[in-house]
Amino acid sequence: MVSQIHHSNIRWTGHVARCLGRQAFVELSRTAAWWTLVTALLLITIGVPTLAAAAVEAALDRDSVPAGRGALMTLRVSGGRVGKIELPEVDNLLIQARGQSQQFEIINGQSSVSAIYNYAVGSTTPGTYQIPPIGVTVDGNKLTSQPLTLKVLAAAATQAPAGIAPLPPSTPPAAADTEDTSGKRFGFLTVEPATSERKHVYVGEIAPVRIRAWLPEDARAQLHSGIQPEGQAFTLHNVSERPQQTSEVRDGKRYTVITWYGGISATKAGSYPASLSLKASVAVRDTSAPQPRRRSGGPFDDPFFDSILDRMNTPMIQQDVTLKSEDQEIEVRPLPTHGRPAGFSGAVGDFKLEAPELPRAWKTGEPQQVSARISGSGNFALVEAPKLSPPDAWKAYPGKGDFTPGDEAAFSGSKSFQFSAVPRKGGTQDVALNFSFFNPDAGAYQTVTSPAQQIQVAGTDLVEQEPNIAAAREPDKPRDPLIGQHAQLTPRRSLVPLVARPEFVRLLVIAALLCVLGGLLGWHRRRRADPMRRARTAEERATREALHAAARCAAAGDVSGYFAAARQALQHRLGSRWRQPAHAITLAEVTARMPADSPVASFFREADRNAYGHSAADGDFPQWQALLADAMASLTE
Amino acid sequence: MKIAAANPPSEFRMKAMLPLACCFLLLGLSNIIAAATPLEQANRQFAGGDFAAAASAYEQILASDGPRAAVFYNLGNSYQRLGQYGPAILAYERARLLTPRDPDLLANLTLARKAAAAFEEPRPNPRLDALLHLLSRNEWSWLVTGAACLLGGLALVCGALRLPRPGWRKAAAIAATLAALGMATGTTVLYVRRAEAARGIVLSATASVRISPFESADALGSPGPGRCVQLGRKAGGFIYLEVPGTQLRGWMADREVAAVAPD
Repeated sequence: MVSQIHHSNIRWTGHVARCLGRQAFVELSRTAAWWTLVTALLLITIGVPTLAAAAVEAALDRDSVPAGRGALMTLRVSGGRVGKIELPEVDNLLIQARGQSQQFEIINGQSSVSAIYNYAVGSTTPGTYQIPPIGVTVDGNKLTSQPLTLKVLAAAATQAPAGIAPLPPSTPPAAADTEDTSGKRFGFLTVEPATSERKHVYVGEIAPVRIRAWLPEDARAQLHSGIQPEGQAFTLHNVSERPQQTSEVRDGKRYTVITWYGGISATKAGSYPASLSLKASVAVRDTSAPQPRRRSGGPFDDPFFDSILDRMNTPMIQQDVTLKSEDQEIEVRPLPTHGRPAGFSGAVGDFKLEAPELPRAWKTGEPQQVSARISGSGNFALVEAPKLSPPDAWKAYPGKGDFTPGDEAAFSGSKSFQFSAVPRKGGTQDVALNFSFFNPDAGAYQTVTSPAQQIQVAGTDLVEQEPNIAAAREPDKPRDPLIGQHAQLTPRRSLVPLVARPEFVRLLVIAALLCVLGGLLGWHRRRRADPMRRARTAEERATREALHAAARCAAAGDVSGYFAAARQALQHRLGSRWRQPAHAITLAEVTARMPADSPVASFFREADRNAYGHSAADGDFPQWQALLADAMASLTE
Repeated sequence: MKIAAANPPSEFRMKAMLPLACCFLLLGLSNIIAAATPLEQANRQFAGGDFAAAASAYEQILASDGPRAAVFYNLGNSYQRLGQYGPAILAYERARLLTPRDPDLLANLTLARKAAAAFEEPRPNPRLDALLHLLSRNEWSWLVTGAACLLGGLALVCGALRLPRPGWRKAAAIAATLAALGMATGTTVLYVRRAEAARGIVLSATASVRISPFESADALGSPGPGRCVQLGRKAGGFIYLEVPGTQLRGWMADREVAAVAPD
């Protein structure tokens, strides 16, 4: 199929190329032909490296195998003609070639050819084996694959989280795998409660369970759903995100076992079937298909490679299945009402109360922080802060509790509490904290108490506002925990937070505009306040005014006035340039800094001659104005 | 005569208008009284034990008057008394969006969660979580916009005027730094908590998560009433959701689940 697509692509490309060659110079315009050529060149430029990039990849079909069995190693070489393959030698590890194939692929229009070499790898000695890089000569260049690691196991092993017993060792396999007639051909699910000695659970108790999916050894599986309880009497909590994978033998057959940990809990009393299910697509070897005859006497006539040969030659069948655990009737018992402590909050499990932190000095009516920590295993969601004892001497307020899980299933761990308490009675007091819970293993309520601490409470006893003696004599009525209605209407507000409303973006845009505007104003203010710039502006204004005055004097025929104003204009311009006071610039200064025949020096000489010598006739004005213009122009340059 | 008949004297007109004005006044007063009445009536129904009628009255107030924290809280109490924990938790969660630190609300929400066994999954990092939830998303949003506007205002003032005293300039620099810090923190928190925009609550005990958006599709499981879920895309009358802390994900009829912050 892939090959056909490739061939049709080649035919189509050839047709297009022929069309391009014929039509490019005849029918299409010159511009279109150029674009076509550029596109073709780009395609060739992109395509050539794809075909030319050579690569060698090695992979194992599994990370671990039992001793005496083999894994399949695949060596994929792409992008060139394969020459010599140098297989490494590893002590106690057997590597045998199992054939070769070619793969031709077109993916997103890019074609590639790969040569695939199969090898059987295994050992009879357990251990971890490093397979060094395999050297392959491709088109005369030597390439190497990445190194691989293969574990050869003596027996399967796994590690359970806290609170769950370790797995029992797997039984040895039977003489040969037989065709499964139990309806579990595609695998099955098992649920193993940690409390194996107890056949009942209590309402609210989270029982840790180990959930295992057993898939035939050679199966390929794709999970379509998470693990789900079958009925509605139980819920599943905190299923581990990363399941463990092992290889185990059960009833004489080897399975790949995927193990999760989680907690199962019931919300109502009674007896209910508990089973879990998992939807998956599983492909298994069809062992009922006829096996090809195996030649004897060849180089691979070794029982070690029989299983690999069988695996490679057996076709696979795939099916969408629901892996189910067996229905297991579980008795859910209600929590006993007899002996229930007053401060019981619903915590079920086994807990310890660690030493609390209490302030040593206190004052009646003054709230202070109390810190305590409860550790253990159970339903931490219902674990509440411990109570202060003696209860009549204290008033405690709800605080906060932070849970730190101790294992992956969050079954064990510790919960830290911080809450405020107010002493009602003054004097020296022995204070302790106590916490009540139901222990499902003991089937009874338990109360743990911290060691008493002596604290000093200053002040007098707090007197109750209205002591109700009559009420105190009456038997305790169960207090309604629901806090009552609110009588006052609160302001109308949107349920949608500001961040999800268009106003949020508008406000941010306004803020950004304000920032930009502030930046612009600051830049403008600094520019206006720049002393150099202000001095330059003043000089330019003075120069302009002097030139206007000179023009007026020229029009009026005032020779001395003309020269005075014109000299002043030149002095301002030179002063700005030389950073000197304008009035300090004389002919001597000019001739010291500029050539003597420059227009500026010439004008200064002419001005001095008119100022200190004879008065010239006003008929020379056009000449002087031209000289002044030259002098100003030379300074402008 | 004709003119007198067409235009009665002003005294006569005043006398004729007085009863009319009284009628309008009474009507206005009755309207004012009526505006305050629905909540009181609903509260009276609640106090009288008619929780279904009270819940219906609170729903009507919300529909006509818009979201108010007190009404959501009272509605949650009514549903809790009726044993309908899914709608109760939804109402409390909506009230929590408006008054996130109301101790009465938090206490009753905890009660409802306990009763429905709809516990919140333990947080992986409780201290960080407490910091992130120090303010509601709305409050964090206002912090970000307030800080941004403060920064913009400071930029404008400092750009337009040259602050004459070094103390003022120092104060402006400190304020700008705090505003930038507030903006950065708020933006980070809003980004981390962005998934909360799609929070939903399962309403009924029989609500099932199905493998595909059809009534006839296989059920994968039931999260239980009041369970907090993460809502996804909609298809027909179904909505895709995930139950946090579990691997349960699939389609649920949209009548069986509601978003905490509706679109």
